[in-house]
Amino acid sequence: MSFLPLAHALSARDDLPVPAWLFAWAASIVLIVSFFALAAGWRSPRFEQWRERPLGEGLSRVLLGLPAQVTYGLIGIFLLGFSIYAGLEGTVAPERNFTLTFLFVTCWLGFPFFSAIFGDLFRPFNPWRAIGRATGAGFGAIAGQRSAHLAYPEKLGRWPAAIGLLAVVWLEVVYGAGGIGIDPHTTAVAALIYSGYTLAMMAAFGVEEWCERGEIFSVYFGMFARLGIFHASDGRLQRRPPLAATTTWATIPGSAAVVLASIAATSYDGAAEGAVKDPISSAAEWLIDQGVGPVASIRLTETAFMLLCFGAVTLVYMLGVRGMRTVPGAPSLAKLRVGFSHSLIPIALAYLVAHYFSLFVFQEQAQFGYLLSDPLGTGTTNLFGTASWEVDYKVISTNAIWYVQVGSLVVGHVMGLMLAHDRALAYWSDYRKATASQYWMLAVMVAFTCFGLYLLSVANG
Amino acid sequence: MRHAKKLIVAMLALVAAVALVACGDSDDSTGTTGGKSATVTGEFVTLAEAPASDFQIMGKAELDRSKGTVLSISVSGLEPKTRYIAHLHTGGCDQADPGGPHFQFEKGGSEEPPNEIHLRFTSNGAGEGKATASSEREVPVGEAGSVVIHRDDSDEMTSFEAGEAEAETIFVHEGVDHAKEGGGHGGGKAEPEHAHSDKLACAELEGAAAAEGGSSAGGDVPTIVVRDGEPVGGVAELEFDAGEEVRFRVRSDEAEEIHVHGYDLAKNVPAGGTVEFAFPAELEGIYEAELEQQGAQIVELQINP
Repeated sequence: MSFLPLAHALSARDDLPVPAWLFAWAASIVLIVSFFALAAGWRSPRFEQWRERPLGEGLSRVLLGLPAQVTYGLIGIFLLGFSIYAGLEGTVAPERNFTLTFLFVTCWLGFPFFSAIFGDLFRPFNPWRAIGRATGAGFGAIAGQRSAHLAYPEKLGRWPAAIGLLAVVWLEVVYGAGGIGIDPHTTAVAALIYSGYTLAMMAAFGVEEWCERGEIFSVYFGMFARLGIFHASDGRLQRRPPLAATTTWATIPGSAAVVLASIAATSYDGAAEGAVKDPISSAAEWLIDQGVGPVASIRLTETAFMLLCFGAVTLVYMLGVRGMRTVPGAPSLAKLRVGFSHSLIPIALAYLVAHYFSLFVFQEQAQFGYLLSDPLGTGTTNLFGTASWEVDYKVISTNAIWYVQVGSLVVGHVMGLMLAHDRALAYWSDYRKATASQYWMLAVMVAFTCFGLYLLSVANG
Repeated sequence: MRHAKKLIVAMLALVAAVALVACGDSDDSTGTTGGKSATVTGEFVTLAEAPASDFQIMGKAELDRSKGTVLSISVSGLEPKTRYIAHLHTGGCDQADPGGPHFQFEKGGSEEPPNEIHLRFTSNGAGEGKATASSEREVPVGEAGSVVIHRDDSDEMTSFEAGEAEAETIFVHEGVDHAKEGGGHGGGKAEPEHAHSDKLACAELEGAAAAEGGSSAGGDVPTIVVRDGEPVGGVAELEFDAGEEVRFRVRSDEAEEIHVHGYDLAKNVPAGGTVEFAFPAELEGIYEAELEQQGAQIVELQINP
């Protein structure tokens, strides 16, 4: 698989490709479900108007009070600091160093998975936000006034986060590819650079403003968190219907780019070792023949394919949006483009689950086993007595992995259809026109879902 | 509900299309049964004893056992418009006499087809050649060691086009000392005359396994030959079903440690030596085996449920 270079570096095991019969069944189910959704869809929006219901006051005070907030922030800062330290000081062996598994598996996959159920879990632990808020509070106490910020250019919207998201995946998948493998040291240096950049941006534009728009991890994890059912606002813990909060997510420019980048990044990672493995290696060989160094050739080629992947995913979505524009009474192209992007969030999540679920299950055993007791990989420390634990690859069967992979794509597809159908009913008062517009979104989603299934069936080539 | 009808028709059409695609897929998969592939392939490597050094023979040999035996080769880098002959040998390319003795269905029997497998061909103007030979009999697993190409200097009158190997080939066996090396396979007949000149190129099929395994017992154990820190012929893809015994050998020209990931097994191999792995396939998934010191992958081990 391997599949993906990172999984290669961390996990000894790659997933088996989904067998053809399962691929066929899943694709058939997707198509049948899609057409029935069109034929029998509801006629008035269901997700667009939603209300939060506050939970118990005592619970909110304990979980959201200032002492709790400070604690979360300190935990976040400690873990970031420790990751940088372990990356710089620990072993260079990727699978034996705490840092890579913690940052690229536990956080990078764990926050989307769990936030999609429970709501935004990253926000309280965000170390940069914690530092920014503490600094702001300190400044306020000393200067007696709130710090002034530059006005964030509204047009820039979430574009910094979208580009940053591609950059993170690039670092993870492309930079480390070609047999070099991303090492803990590089990751720690990247984390340091990113910390400096983020704190500078927070100082310039304000902590919350930057978290909402430019801070890669807040935006990315926050996007999946919109699917989840808990939300903290006005100092109270609130409950909200699942999926509903996605409807208000894409109000900031560049949001569509974030969700498309997410789908593109995951599919590129899946395709690089399977579907486009041969084109990548022949293109890289061609570059080597032209006199470009071997490592540079592989990185250049992979970068090009990754951008191509982003371009292709964007093109498919834009075709769907253009198609909807042909339905009488359609809003402007720009409004459609922004307005339907949230319906891709469940599909982006499904891609993540399909591609990384097994890696997460196996690698978390390492995280809470030997990496916890021997974070630097020295072989001499055993903090919690778990240093000799190894990963049990029998904890889930191959069949179980296949069903989770395929199941997540099918469920994500259905959720996406529901959100898109709902949005169409909000844009077209006539429900027949709304349904007609959904032929287009349906085609987009069937394309994404079947492409996702295809990637699974050829994974690890 | 006019809409619904149209939709259902379209839906059925699409489902049918998907089913067709899927079925097409499953037809494609070449008959891999019980973890052994019906075809064995090897890459031609120019031999050190080949006379001219300004050309490099490249190409592929493929042995297909799905129906009798079909041996086909496709070679480039030959001299243009020249007659060549290739034989199926029982030994590996790494032997002192590359390939060892010719393969024979009846050991010690006729040295001509159909008892041996020969491929005659004439290269085209670009120095490329292709040939296929087939037999209704199946070459036993482990005995298809390698394919060796020579220039065809026999006085045969017929000019052969690339294509089916002919039965009326004049063939004289190499030499008695070499015949012994194949682990007792060959007929071992000493006939000093050479009807064709030096060996030019050799493609390894199952030769390494046969050479190491000696007699028939270890004949079907795949052997990965490592030369200069790289697996000859690329990363070997081995496929087993869960519960079977995973068995393979690694021969290396340098001392190395071979590490099977996931199963976390490691064995040292001395320079020029061979090490054998044999363990039950209890973990499903795809795992790597690599040269631990160089970090180079040599095997992709796929365990199917």
